[in-house]
Amino acid sequence: MKLTKADITTRQAFSERMLEYGAIDKNFVVFEADIGYSTYSHLFGDAYPERYFNMGIAESNTMAAAAGMAADGRTVIACSYGVFISLRAVEAIRTFICYPNLNVKFLSSHGGLTPAVDGVTHQATEDIGIMTTLPNMKVFAPADTESAKKIFDVAIKTTGPVFIRLMRDPLFDIYSKEDTFEIAGSKTIREGKDLTVVTYGDIVFQALEAADELKKDNISIEIIDMYSIKPFDKKNLLNSISKTEALLVAEDHQKRNGLGYELSNFCLKNKPVLFDNLGLNDTFAESGNYYKIIDKYGISKKHIFNKVKELIYKKGGK
Amino acid sequence: MNNKFQNFEERVQYLKEKAKEVRTNIIDMIFTAHSGHPGGALSAADIMTALYFDILKIDPNNPRWPDRDRFILSKGHACPVWYSCLAMRGYFPMKELKTLRKFESILQGHPDMRKTPGIDMTTGSLGQGLSLGVGMALEGKLVKKNYHVYVVLGDGEINEGQVWEAAASASKYKLDNLTAIVDKNNLQMDGFTEKVMPMDPIDKKFEAFNWQVMTINGHKMKEILIALEEVKKIKGKPVCIIANTIKGKGVSFMENIRKWHGKAPNQQEYEMAIKEIQGGNNEIN
Repeated sequence: MKLTKADITTRQAFSERMLEYGAIDKNFVVFEADIGYSTYSHLFGDAYPERYFNMGIAESNTMAAAAGMAADGRTVIACSYGVFISLRAVEAIRTFICYPNLNVKFLSSHGGLTPAVDGVTHQATEDIGIMTTLPNMKVFAPADTESAKKIFDVAIKTTGPVFIRLMRDPLFDIYSKEDTFEIAGSKTIREGKDLTVVTYGDIVFQALEAADELKKDNISIEIIDMYSIKPFDKKNLLNSISKTEALLVAEDHQKRNGLGYELSNFCLKNKPVLFDNLGLNDTFAESGNYYKIIDKYGISKKHIFNKVKELIYKKGGK
Repeated sequence: MNNKFQNFEERVQYLKEKAKEVRTNIIDMIFTAHSGHPGGALSAADIMTALYFDILKIDPNNPRWPDRDRFILSKGHACPVWYSCLAMRGYFPMKELKTLRKFESILQGHPDMRKTPGIDMTTGSLGQGLSLGVGMALEGKLVKKNYHVYVVLGDGEINEGQVWEAAASASKYKLDNLTAIVDKNNLQMDGFTEKVMPMDPIDKKFEAFNWQVMTINGHKMKEILIALEEVKKIKGKPVCIIANTIKGKGVSFMENIRKWHGKAPNQQEYEMAIKEIQGGNNEIN
């Protein structure tokens, strides 16, 4: 299966949908922290200047002001990079948005290692762990532009705080216009019988590439795009691992407190199966070409391929 | 609320009496809870009384009335003063005050907008209230409502850099519907503000952010009222009222003493405090 790289990034796709949606829903407003030309929130700001608030390079103030604006029910989309939303501004988000369960949605760009050339300061590799830990917070990570646009609609219709992890660089087109997305949903994008790979965001493509290679060795893996990370699709996961009896979680995030930790906990309680996970192994990455970085730090298709082989061997298979 | 008085003097007198009740409740609540922050609650008591018994356009029967003035106690630990005002205005029964900080109480250790009627915004983590107020004031401008947003800050919490991020943004958006009142009692948890982290001149700092600044005696009811009336006339910029106060004001043995930041009185101290507040000391304000 040959996939094509999208013309635009998921951050741009999400913001383009935000602009379109601005005409459908005239009530929501957008807060930006001086990276509007990077998050593409400026598209909305240019069209609706009275509904766009650029608070400057001050992420904590941006999020707390968003909370104040949302206090009586207004929906606010607050934009920044994942590393700043999940770390610098997290207390304002926890105490003043999650605790009162206010309708603030976070357009979180530059997720994972996609800001590879920018280096560690801009790579958001702890965001999923931090955000999923906050009560009331829901977390999404679209794998392509089509799902990014549709997940905008899901997020804005979902009550309470929602974090949407978007990417710096273009991803590959996976979904078509017919695909639908929902909270606690997932997509089985490749059916298989030997092992289940759960992934999300940019790593979905890596898993698909690995699957093609594994097929040559007569190994069939099932790939689930867990785009709704919190809450996640327990039913689809259970069905899949009941069939394959083996699970590999691969993610562009720290292994610790990522989706892998969450799902291993779930499996241990509900359906213990052969398990492993790929992600940053308690380390920071570095600057450089994205593909070289994910390969060096153990998240690329090569690592998925090798880990699947290892698990299949343990399973007593091929 | 102020129409029922013959003259300004009567209005002031009424508020002075209310402030005594507020102070009595503060001491009573903290004594009953065996925990809480009397010093900063007492220093803000006169400002809060003026707001809740005179200035604020609110409806206790309709706490979420869309046109109401908003209030945020940024120094959330001083919430016994807020709870006292809210109970006295009828947002919830007075007997609830006895449940402060207790298991399953509507009166949490720090203010909670989901549990307490009349609390417009959750607070407690310092240095955040002004940002929250900026958001509320922006909302007021967006929906073209005339409500005003008041934020009471401590002079210790302005150590937090976010306060100044908020100051800049309020100025950018010309939020003349936002008023910050700094309860300048010169003490923070670890000691005198000038020793822990000097922030003076606070007035010049707010002025530098293009705020209109007034400085008043935060225990003189007349001065408080005049300033709060004046605030509404200022257009095109946010206003900061620096209220010079005394931490623990009204209970002599608590005044200006660091340890009364977050300590409950024992039985003997409680009785002394109540007696002092109620003891006809009309000069308290």
